[in-house]
Amino acid sequence: MEMNITQDKKVNQNRKSKKDLLSALLFLSPTLVIFTTFILFPVLFSFYLSFQSWNMFSTQSTFIGLENYSRMFSSDEFWMVLKNTLIYTLGTIPLNMALSLIIAYVLNKKLKGKKFLRTAFFAPVVISPVAAAVIWRWLYDPNFGLLNYFIGLFGIKAINWLNDPTAAMFALIIMGVWKTLGVNMVLFSAGLQGIPESYYEAAQLDGAGRWAKFWHITIPMLSPTTFFIMIMSMIGSFQVFDIVYVLTSGGPLGSTKVLVFYIYEHAFKFFEMGYASAVSYFLFAILFIFTMLQVKYMRSKVLG
Amino acid sequence: MVILKTRALAITKFFFFSKLSFLVIVILLSTSSCGKKDENKNGKEVTIVFWHSFVSSTVPALNELIGKFEKEHPTIRIKAQYIPTGDALVQKLITAIQSKNAPDISWIHSDFMEDLVRADAIYKMSYFTDGNNGINKEELEDIYPSLRQYASWKGTLYSLPMEATNLALLYNKEMFRKAGLDPNHPPKTWAELEDYAQKLTLDTNGDGKYEQTGLYLPIYPAAGPLSSWMVWQWMPYLWQAGGDIIDDAQTHVLYDSPSGIEALSLWQRIYNRLHLSTFTSDYDVAFASKHLAMAMDGPWDLPRYNDILKNLDWAFAPLPAGPQKQATIVGGEYLAIFKQSSHPNEAWEFVKWMIKPETQAFWAIRSGYLPIRHAVLNVPEFQQYLTKNPNFKVFVDQMDFGLAQKPIDYGGLQIQRHIAEAIEKSTVGREDVKKALEESANKSNKLLQSQKRK
Repeated sequence: MEMNITQDKKVNQNRKSKKDLLSALLFLSPTLVIFTTFILFPVLFSFYLSFQSWNMFSTQSTFIGLENYSRMFSSDEFWMVLKNTLIYTLGTIPLNMALSLIIAYVLNKKLKGKKFLRTAFFAPVVISPVAAAVIWRWLYDPNFGLLNYFIGLFGIKAINWLNDPTAAMFALIIMGVWKTLGVNMVLFSAGLQGIPESYYEAAQLDGAGRWAKFWHITIPMLSPTTFFIMIMSMIGSFQVFDIVYVLTSGGPLGSTKVLVFYIYEHAFKFFEMGYASAVSYFLFAILFIFTMLQVKYMRSKVLG
Repeated sequence: MVILKTRALAITKFFFFSKLSFLVIVILLSTSSCGKKDENKNGKEVTIVFWHSFVSSTVPALNELIGKFEKEHPTIRIKAQYIPTGDALVQKLITAIQSKNAPDISWIHSDFMEDLVRADAIYKMSYFTDGNNGINKEELEDIYPSLRQYASWKGTLYSLPMEATNLALLYNKEMFRKAGLDPNHPPKTWAELEDYAQKLTLDTNGDGKYEQTGLYLPIYPAAGPLSSWMVWQWMPYLWQAGGDIIDDAQTHVLYDSPSGIEALSLWQRIYNRLHLSTFTSDYDVAFASKHLAMAMDGPWDLPRYNDILKNLDWAFAPLPAGPQKQATIVGGEYLAIFKQSSHPNEAWEFVKWMIKPETQAFWAIRSGYLPIRHAVLNVPEFQQYLTKNPNFKVFVDQMDFGLAQKPIDYGGLQIQRHIAEAIEKSTVGREDVKKALEESANKSNKLLQSQKRK
């Protein structure tokens, strides 16, 4: 008797969970359809393509095994592009994080014009990259540019920002930081507002100064946010494309050519879809490994 | 707490984008179904879809041209569709071919003709020219040989030119006068070009910056996508020195020959002596604001220059001759007929009509592009136009010694990139010309050999 009841219950539960699943799928279907067509399918298909040679015009592609991958690792240009991407990432992330934390910290205080300043710092995020690049091209102009005018006031010689292989990467990093600063600032602000006021009051009672409070309360309490920002920034700067495309087109002398630009060039300029897919999967592998390492190393420290 | 907040942010972001993409799908679906309906509206009337990337200032002339054609051919309608850039055109063609939605006629470039032919996407022109409604050989050979060569792949004609362009030397006569040069004697040799460019580069207030630059060379960052504009402008110099890109059998490249070294050395000297590394990339703005004395430019800017350079004393002159010969580079837009077209004969009717001398004269006068064949010079209306527009005549006269970039059967784009690298290295990078050219040529030769093995 008892056996029967539990069995009935189980059957009932099974039936119910099946029904739940069905309605869940029904509700999720619009998103799932879009996800499958525009994300899942391209992701799987490009993995398949990375073993093929395909020029996109013809309806057929040929299987060439690992040739795309071996070509990638033996290409000098590929290693240069990878190096450029690393320089860009190492150049933007620390600068971006430090600046956005400082701005968020200052704007978290009671300050006149706080809302205006927040909007101003966030504005570059919503400006179209093409329009932004036009502005920066003028700022960087060697003869009439505002930037050279300002550094000229301090007696520094005019820099040929976009036409000099070393300066061009700096120019790109500066614009990259300016363009993405706002997002991180908002995230840090949210994090700062989440720190209970009572901690600071307790520290005050113990006689802690402003610096001590910042160092021993704000920084540790922000670490989940910092952790999140770091991972997202790394993914973001490894995937930088739009500002490179509009500001330097990868030049001069390939000094600002980054991975995604390289992929774009091979896919849509040289029509080597297979090779471009192989490089994309390499980029995916790098991001996957770096993110995993960060998660493994940081999680124990941050989330304890 | 914070993680939750950011997660919520990410979720809203995701929903926003999925909504956006849904909207995009709806729009795409609705427009594509519209296109289908249009075509079957009338059993008799045939609609020919024509893809192009004409700049917006040419569109009124294009509409006039199409109106003229439709008046003469009442059963054929031409639906011209504008695709913003050449790059977008290629990408749209790829998707269209894959989804069996290719246009009847489209602009194409020799850059991707190889791919189109290998995908069996376009007709050989002989299919039409040798047919019942064809054109005879003399008429076909009246088209400038450089254009015919560029319209072919491996010696077979796959497209026909719609119009031509070439490069001439734009110069400011007033600046010539001030520098003590004869404004009616623009540079005729390389030596004169170098000499004049130097004399026209001036630091008037002695602050170490140059208020006036003698000659503009399109070296990065003005080089444009894939640096094609830079290579395009360098090609005439290579030919003037007696060189070429590739041998006839297409087994190895020739641009690292002594002629190539001579041509690139000239650019290197001009680049360094005129301090072009700090010169702006907006050469047309610089010319209009009297900061630039000479630049190479095409006829497509003539209508605009007639307007914006009203207060300047300027003219176009033929490109100076090099040590071996006089040469300029010829370009143009080419029309191909797609195999997916359900009305190839009507599409051919348009292409055939387009290359008629009368149409060419009409089109050249209205669009500012150059005619594609000699016979146009005999059209009275065109002759009158030439006497009234001496600058335009400079370009038309240059067609006689104009050369087109030799179509490269395989890997043409990569080879173009290699040439661009050599130019950048020896100017921006200050490397030795011979070394830079040799390095690039090695890469190109390796590519040609690997293609040959396939």
